[in-house]
Amino acid sequence: MGFLRPPGQARAVNVGWGDLPIEVGSPFPGAERKLTVNRHRQRLVLRAGLVVIALLAAACGPGSTETTTSGGTTQTSGTPSTGGTVRIGYAGAPADLNPGIGVLVEDYIMYNLIYDSLLDTDLEGNFQPEVATAWTPSDDGLTWTLTIRDDITFHDGEPLTVDDVVYSMALYRDTEAFLLLGDYLAPWVDDPETPQVPEITAVDATTIRMTAEYPVAAFEYRMPGMYVLPQHIWEAVDDVVTFTNDEMIGSGPFVLAEYSQGEFVRLESNTDYWEGSPKVDEVIFQTVDNADARVQALINGELDAITEFPATAIPALRDAANVEVVDGLEFGGRLADIIFNMIDPADCPPEDGVCSGHPALRDVQVRRALAHAVDKQQLIDSLLLGLGEPGLGLVPPALGDWFAEELIPSDYAFDLEAAAVMLEEAGYVDTDGDGIRECPTADCGPTGDLTFRLNYPTDNDEHPRVSDTLSGWWGDIGVAVQIQGLDSDALTAVCCPGFDFDVILWSWTSDPDPEGLLSVLSCDAIPTGFSETGYCNPTYDELYNQQTVETDRAARREIIVEMQRMALEDVPYIIPWYYPKIQAYRTDTFTGWLVDSPIIALEDPSSLTVIQAAG
Amino acid sequence: MRGRLLVRKVLWSVVTVMVVITFNFFLFRVLPGDPAKAGVRDPRLSPAAVEAARIRFGLDKPVFLNTEGGSLFDSQYFHYLQALSEGDLGTSYAFNNRAVTSLIGNALRNTVWLVLPAQILSIGAGVALGLWAAYRRGTKIDVGALTFSLFMWALPTFFLGILLLFFGSRYLGFPSAGRVTIGANYANAFEQFWDIARHLFLPTLTFTLVLLGEYMLVMRSSVVEVFGEDYIQTAKAKGLSVFEIIRKHAFRNAMLPIVTLIALNLGFTVSGAIQVETVFSWPGLGKLTVDAVSQRDYPVLQGAFLLLAISVIAANLVAELLYLRLDPRVTEV
Repeated sequence: MGFLRPPGQARAVNVGWGDLPIEVGSPFPGAERKLTVNRHRQRLVLRAGLVVIALLAAACGPGSTETTTSGGTTQTSGTPSTGGTVRIGYAGAPADLNPGIGVLVEDYIMYNLIYDSLLDTDLEGNFQPEVATAWTPSDDGLTWTLTIRDDITFHDGEPLTVDDVVYSMALYRDTEAFLLLGDYLAPWVDDPETPQVPEITAVDATTIRMTAEYPVAAFEYRMPGMYVLPQHIWEAVDDVVTFTNDEMIGSGPFVLAEYSQGEFVRLESNTDYWEGSPKVDEVIFQTVDNADARVQALINGELDAITEFPATAIPALRDAANVEVVDGLEFGGRLADIIFNMIDPADCPPEDGVCSGHPALRDVQVRRALAHAVDKQQLIDSLLLGLGEPGLGLVPPALGDWFAEELIPSDYAFDLEAAAVMLEEAGYVDTDGDGIRECPTADCGPTGDLTFRLNYPTDNDEHPRVSDTLSGWWGDIGVAVQIQGLDSDALTAVCCPGFDFDVILWSWTSDPDPEGLLSVLSCDAIPTGFSETGYCNPTYDELYNQQTVETDRAARREIIVEMQRMALEDVPYIIPWYYPKIQAYRTDTFTGWLVDSPIIALEDPSSLTVIQAAG
Repeated sequence: MRGRLLVRKVLWSVVTVMVVITFNFFLFRVLPGDPAKAGVRDPRLSPAAVEAARIRFGLDKPVFLNTEGGSLFDSQYFHYLQALSEGDLGTSYAFNNRAVTSLIGNALRNTVWLVLPAQILSIGAGVALGLWAAYRRGTKIDVGALTFSLFMWALPTFFLGILLLFFGSRYLGFPSAGRVTIGANYANAFEQFWDIARHLFLPTLTFTLVLLGEYMLVMRSSVVEVFGEDYIQTAKAKGLSVFEIIRKHAFRNAMLPIVTLIALNLGFTVSGAIQVETVFSWPGLGKLTVDAVSQRDYPVLQGAFLLLAISVIAANLVAELLYLRLDPRVTEV
């Protein structure tokens, strides 16, 4: 139907509603009462509503959960910085300003810049003096003596003394609800069953003595986590666990100027810093969730550096003008792993353990065969664009000589035929012709053949493709997989200490010392939920206890290499690759980024204190 | 009669909200995962600290009824109800012991700044486009408008956002992320407003484009239906111009379904535009909810879902009452 306009028709009388009480033909019964509606009043109400909205809008513009602090006296003396504001983009955001309860990477980025700790790790992986200038062990390894600097002041002008150091360490050690840092001080926790009493005391104004329960072989890696807190502020706090620490008074090279939850952190240079003021005025860490937006912001010049992005963005970054991509190792090293559930039913945790792992995975021949069916270099080339190193054991190359380089030749080469032969000879034969092998023993899992559940965390970019690739290779040797991605928490629920899985793809990040990661293969780790494999080898545990107290570095290395050799033989894990650390920065805004070292960390104080504005 | 009807409706709404609160409360606790660990897998994490965190969060208490001695109502659920009655939404597990009320309040403010202009623009543009397409039904304009709307409605929000982000920031100089230029000093309020507006432009545009398809299609079909009515024929016969027919008759009657749609959509405003907020790093309620889910931050989730429930139920109530008022055919809803 169209509108037919009567030709030459003049406009008719306006018979609209509201002014005249005339019924216009309307199919709505009861419409009469509508006619006396006062349109004038309607308009007034509408206008009033708009005005109200406008007023509200003006009064409350979009805002933030903000903590703004001026950070004390920073501009009075010291070398003036030559200026500039560095903008760094990352994916997450700090959640806790209190070092005792922080767990996120972004939290620790802030702590490293705002606080000083006793020692610092440099980009070669070595330990450098910071608040402690010297650290020497006694002959028996039980006592370490540290020399403390006396020329440091906090951001509020108060001096940093040995009392602050002792107070901080005691706080981390004794506050039960502090999450991570207390673990570093485990050797100084009193064991009531032994006669000796560990202590951390100030001997004089520049010396601290730390006497432990047992000889501490790995001392240095515990110290970079000891952020020195101002005692005069923290001891006045009611509850240090719920203390939000909005002001973050530290002694580090940067001062907290502004913190907006989930958006950004703005730091200003500490011009009074004892090591010399940073050369820039400000550093801003901006949360940019979306990886593409982050990469784009760097290319556009809105950011000066980005700390993380998927490997797939590398070509775009390399093409962009004035942008450089750097890759190297990560502090401590990050590795991908393939976890086998090989827990012996006798070791199953009584309360939480489900222990539903496929029995065939307890056979070391099956695990070795599967290890032969993983092409590590192929995975690196396709998923990480060739960056990253082929994996070996739980100790990554980023840990320097703790990495068992000499074991590389003993690793399992990619050889599908050898893998198939291994399975055949172990008695796993495909008896029913469906392409999946059956077991020599009666108990062959719920499906009666070598079908494994394969799980991975859904927040990881590479794991979905790894699982597809693995199912191809393992399918070729007669092993089927049922793939399912799970949310991280759901994955933890099935993994450990439940052991309700067959194979999991996951990852680990190590400390600068191998002690932490090597502990996940100990029998003690099974009930705590840190053992993912259920591996339990008394010899391994004995070696582990030995290396904890072996103060001779060379001897300790031998023990650790032996442990890695055992793990390689028994294959509780397959380590496909060690992640590269890939970051990117602009070359035209700031110069002096530390990019030539083995470890890459543009957000680390080592870089941020030396870069300066370009041109 | 009207007054009693209203009171009954409001009461039912309150009951619905209570049911939603209870359902959500137990739903979160059915999910696997331990908020005390907040997804941290770290051998350094001490079991004593996790236990202390669990006690601090009140997670050591039974969920519904306490049958282990002491008061029957010393459970997580009843503690939650009691706090709620005092207006206390609790403290966040994940965000530095901050009060949930302030977290949600700020996020809500940011979300409203994003979503409300987008809703208004999409309503205006969608309605106008739908009207125009219905008037020109069957012509190229109609087909063009239909295609455009369907395309926009079907396009994944995330993808459209990324596209606009890329072109907008690369070639038009819009910022890629965030709410304001960080650390900027504003000379006056207008400069601050302008900065926020610049940051709001791309996300609002994305959201508008995605929503407008819905309004356009409903409006178009509604207007087409109204145009088929006899009284329009009568009005035309009386000699009213097209514009006056639309303005006085067609528009009002066609708007009825749109009014309901608007009311319902506005109710969902507070769920935030999760995808848009993530793409543009806009710190709103959607982003807060997503972050809270991944960290099992029950108090924030409960607060956000409570807000959403109240908002949707209230909007639904308003829609029903509006309909009562606008459509004389309806005497009781």
